[in-house]
Amino acid sequence: MLAAEEFTVREEPYYLPLGDEIELFEAAFRQRIPVLLKGPTGCGKTRFVEYMSYRLGQPVTRISQGGDGDGPEAGPRPFVTVACHEDLTASDLVGRYLLDTDGTRWIDGPLTRAVKRGAICYLDEVVEARKDTTVLIHPLTDYRRLLPIEKLGQVVEAADGFLLVISYNPGYQSALKDLKHSTRQRFISVEFTYPSREQEAEIITHESGVDMAVSIELAKLGEKVRNLKEHGLGEGVSTRLLIYAGRLIERGIAPRRAAQVAVTWALTDDLEVQRSIEEVVTSIFE
Amino acid sequence: MSVAGELAARNRERFEGFPEPLLDAYQTGLRALEGRLTPTRLESWSRGGLDLMAVSLRSWESAAEYFRAGPRLPEAASWETWEQLAVEAASLTEQSAPLAVSFLRSAPETLALVGPNHLAQWADLGRRLYKGNWKSSSLAAQFYDAGPELFGAIRVSQAGRLTLFLDELARHSYELAAACLSAAPEVLGRLDGADRAPFLTFGVELAQSSWADSRLYFERGVPLLQRVHAPVRERYLLLAARVARDHSRSAFQYFEEGAAALGEVEPDAHGPVIELAEQLAPHSAYAAMDFIGNAPAVLEKVRLDELPAWQAAGLGILAASREGGEAYFRLQSSRGEEVLDTLSARVELARVGEVLRLYAKALTGRDISIHAAAVLAEKGIGWVDEERASTEGTTIFLPEVMERHRDKDENFAAMKVFATHQAAHLEFESFAFRFERPATLFADLRPTLPERGEARPATEIERFFDLFPDRTLASDLHEIAEDARIDAAIKRAYAGIRGALGRMQREELARRPEVSELPLRQAFVENLVRVSLDGAGAVRWPAGRAEPMANGVAILQRLTAAGATAEDAAEAALRLYQLAMGIRNERDESEEGWDALPEFDEESLDLDMSGLGGDGPPMDLGEAPDGEADYESPQEIDFRGEFKPELVQLLMKLRDGAEQGEAGQISPEQLTEEQLRELLEKSAEIDLDALLEGDLQQTTGMFLSNLLKEAGTPVLDSDAQSDQPLSDLSTGAEEGEEPLAPVVTTYYYDEWDFRAQDYKPRWCAVKEAALEEGGEEFYEETLREYASLVSQTRKQFELMKPELFRKIKRLSDGEDVELDPAIEWMIDLRTGVSPTEKIYWRRNKVERDVAIAFLLDMSASTDEEIARRDQHYDDAGDDPRKYLSWWVTKRRQELAAPPKRIIDLEKEATVLLITALETIGDDYGIYGFSGYGRDNVEFYVIKDFEERFGEATKRRIDKVTPIRSTRMGPAIRHAIHKLSATEAKVRILVLLSDGRPQDHGYGRDRTEKEYAIHDTKQALNEARREGITPFALTVDRAGHDYLKTMCEDMGYEVVGDIESLPRRLPALYRRLTE
Repeated sequence: MLAAEEFTVREEPYYLPLGDEIELFEAAFRQRIPVLLKGPTGCGKTRFVEYMSYRLGQPVTRISQGGDGDGPEAGPRPFVTVACHEDLTASDLVGRYLLDTDGTRWIDGPLTRAVKRGAICYLDEVVEARKDTTVLIHPLTDYRRLLPIEKLGQVVEAADGFLLVISYNPGYQSALKDLKHSTRQRFISVEFTYPSREQEAEIITHESGVDMAVSIELAKLGEKVRNLKEHGLGEGVSTRLLIYAGRLIERGIAPRRAAQVAVTWALTDDLEVQRSIEEVVTSIFE
Repeated sequence: MSVAGELAARNRERFEGFPEPLLDAYQTGLRALEGRLTPTRLESWSRGGLDLMAVSLRSWESAAEYFRAGPRLPEAASWETWEQLAVEAASLTEQSAPLAVSFLRSAPETLALVGPNHLAQWADLGRRLYKGNWKSSSLAAQFYDAGPELFGAIRVSQAGRLTLFLDELARHSYELAAACLSAAPEVLGRLDGADRAPFLTFGVELAQSSWADSRLYFERGVPLLQRVHAPVRERYLLLAARVARDHSRSAFQYFEEGAAALGEVEPDAHGPVIELAEQLAPHSAYAAMDFIGNAPAVLEKVRLDELPAWQAAGLGILAASREGGEAYFRLQSSRGEEVLDTLSARVELARVGEVLRLYAKALTGRDISIHAAAVLAEKGIGWVDEERASTEGTTIFLPEVMERHRDKDENFAAMKVFATHQAAHLEFESFAFRFERPATLFADLRPTLPERGEARPATEIERFFDLFPDRTLASDLHEIAEDARIDAAIKRAYAGIRGALGRMQREELARRPEVSELPLRQAFVENLVRVSLDGAGAVRWPAGRAEPMANGVAILQRLTAAGATAEDAAEAALRLYQLAMGIRNERDESEEGWDALPEFDEESLDLDMSGLGGDGPPMDLGEAPDGEADYESPQEIDFRGEFKPELVQLLMKLRDGAEQGEAGQISPEQLTEEQLRELLEKSAEIDLDALLEGDLQQTTGMFLSNLLKEAGTPVLDSDAQSDQPLSDLSTGAEEGEEPLAPVVTTYYYDEWDFRAQDYKPRWCAVKEAALEEGGEEFYEETLREYASLVSQTRKQFELMKPELFRKIKRLSDGEDVELDPAIEWMIDLRTGVSPTEKIYWRRNKVERDVAIAFLLDMSASTDEEIARRDQHYDDAGDDPRKYLSWWVTKRRQELAAPPKRIIDLEKEATVLLITALETIGDDYGIYGFSGYGRDNVEFYVIKDFEERFGEATKRRIDKVTPIRSTRMGPAIRHAIHKLSATEAKVRILVLLSDGRPQDHGYGRDRTEKEYAIHDTKQALNEARREGITPFALTVDRAGHDYLKTMCEDMGYEVVGDIESLPRRLPALYRRLTE
């Protein structure tokens, strides 16, 4: 039910910096300034937070099913991500009572755990969540750093390492689901774009293991297909999809076929646009 | 006394009482025949005439003619003929004297033509036309009179058919028969002998099925028939006759269209086409004729040898469903088009344009449109070729069709190579050339050269070309260099298209002219073209003088390296020009053989020509020496199309200027007209003769204004083309001070043909425009009139407003534990029963997400008054006073409140609906529709989705009036299109009408309802398929209602009077939206 996961990033995740986002994030973290990551789907926002969590030796909270609450520990700390959806309510984040043999037992929600343990809590696609979640976000993101738990009648003060990070994709959300100014002005905003062709090729090679030559072609495909954004395509092709294509090629699938399943068909159901992308694919790959 | 004198004297008294001329004729005849006939025969002849006189009152006339005819009979006529003539004359005279007169009058000449054996037959034919009345008598007489003329043209056996034809016509109209008869000799005379009988046979069939068309057939039939290849004319006529035999009124039309169509097809193809048609004829004569009629259109898409496959697919449909097959061959079925498209190997730009547009956009990252090359030529801005690909910087122009291969995929691949080459000019920046930007692969010679242009050049490329005395040669060399660079760049960047491009280059190489026959400088250029086509091996050059050629080849090949820029191509062109100028343009007279180039070590060649530019003496771009052959440009290369960098740069500059300055105005400091004129006059890219005719001054003026217009026109929003369904935008009026004419947007929709069980593709044109605005009074008045209803409705709708959150109980996961199930849970646990886990509750937000479209019928039939229930006088008994008082009351009522028309009810209901919908906050659109014919379905916007309700909406409602017909199908389809564009979860289409779809051509004839009903029903089905709930609200209970059959299980209600509307609306609305 609750798409959240919590873990500790123990191995260094691969992340190729595209600009000064690492320095920015570090500085924001030191100053405990909440961060808003803006950018299209699959351009590496989540990976970036993971990487930063490792780098900062910080626990980051990712809200996932049945994440159990082990206590704070030294060294690398947990990282909590919550994939927000339209039915996500405040109590999903804060916690709830469970029935037990002897009565009810309170279980902390992912946000509460992150607050108590001083983790980085990452709310992915935050505008999708119900509006009542903003009630929680506001006191946490200003000087108070407090989380009110209404049902327990408690107010929890955030542990020192706690940082709230949210993400937001301005591209496809409708105007109705725009982020309110009272909310967005509590965050610094780091913009993510697609990497350049060379950088993207490097990422593809690293993540999929294919040759640099193939990666360059995949990155070129990505670049060309992104030219179609707004003209037939809602979103450009994500780096993630290009990596998938690379992995398929690595496993021996013919490049044209790999691009077809990982890019063309994954992007759109519109036959004409599919055909156009197909033509780009057949132009690039032999 | 002679025999004649004796006979005359003997019979003298028998002439008493007859007019003088009769006796004269008798005596003259006797005297003339005296020498030709024996006395016995002369007497017999005389007796024949005298007998005629006695037959009837007027029979002396025929006797007189008999006497006159005798001497005129051919000398060769046997006595049997004389006797036969007398017998026929007697028999005809008995029937009708005037008939016999005509017969006898033309008998001598006719006999000479038809021969004595056919005399009786001829007489019989005329007799067949005679029915005993005077009209038929005059027709038969005309037939005899026409004898000499007629049989000069046709044989007696053919005349049999003519009589049959005339006889048939005469049953309907003697005048028409007479007219045809008088035209017959001329008409039939023009036909080949073999064609006459079949021509007349079809004529007979035509006379039987639609006699009135016979006149047309006689007037136009011959030239039409002659368009059909002679050997198959008879078979063609037999096919046409089948239609006539089907009692069809349109047989002539079919004949005419078929013949005209065959005229457009190669004569050799007529046989196969007709044979295929003959296979269809047993199933449907119409299909057979339509097949012929549409043959030119079909053969434009498929080859003749593919035609049987198309026919066979249709035959299959025809065998299963006659209507379906007929629609197929009428080219009015989607299936027919599909089959045609699959069979056809050719690729049409119209069909792949959108794919290529997105493809080119992906490649270049720019907003590119795709158009047919002819469009560019029409603009009159320097491009003249209607076939060749090109680009002017924002649009890629491609040939309209590609049919160079026998395989569709190959044709598409070719089209794609064309498009890729043009896109690559944009992607690899052919037009971004700057004179002062350094090259990357060559040393820069440009700055070292003296600039020749007097005026400030308009563009960078122009400045470059100004360096050269011979612009044509420079332009050719630059194009070769740039194309070599572009093709290499394509091959490097797009491995996938390498194969197709390479194949095309090889094809082009194979088509190049023989190089050794060209003058040397042209041979040099030709060899460079070959190198640019990746054909260095195809270079041929006099063996002993290989160095300049080898140097040129090496320069060109350097451009294929990665990183070559437009400036590199320009530098290469400079060097190639210098080399070319060193070669005299003369045929090679030496005895040297033309060989492939020997291997040169690149080191040994001076690619930078450093000896000339840079530190050395300045390069001299000399003019061509006198006394050599005129230079001619090399043969064009198809897939590269036209490359006009000077014009493109000019256009780009003009466009920039237009964007910065006022629209359409070129700021003077940017470009002067002088500059433009100069560029135009010297540029090698513009062929003024081909561009426009007339004197130079006028031509350039026209050209410049075209250019400015083109530059001033904002680049078309290319998305307008991609919108589904296809639409085009046209504004009604010229620009001016008057209020803007409504913008009419046209959409095309298919229509369902239930007989064929298939859609007619792009059949209806729906024209959408905002309804004009009237006053607000109607709206306000309606609100006042129904004030209590309005508040009632509003209240009802307010109740429907959903609570924002609803508590949902007994969930396995939720916001909090719910008390009751929690207690149960505990009890279960303690008693050892496995407890249910559903103990939580959660609040779910309920959002109304409804979009509703109202479609108002604005057809003329809504002008009808609605019968009120109390308006029928049904009191038994006929007390006139009672009736009178009833009538007076009724009149009074009517005067006080004029009877409502259907349209009024629609309008009032709309007003009520608006107030209700504004209360509840759902998104809604209100549209009206009417129109006439399939090309003109009018769709009026009263309030569009997302448009705010306001004064304009109120004013538009006022203008809702009955207009013309009701073609419901396309209107519904357009409303579906509108609804589909909304993002709402619940989408509803409410059709408010009188329930009578009716339009011109919406069915076989005006009275047929079936077709319209089925199409409407299909449209409603489409709505459901789109996830839209259709609902029909009809305001007529008088029984003209066909909607009921259309809707079946779909929502349907009759609203008798407006009073019942508010009571039912909320219930209805709730039912629909929940």
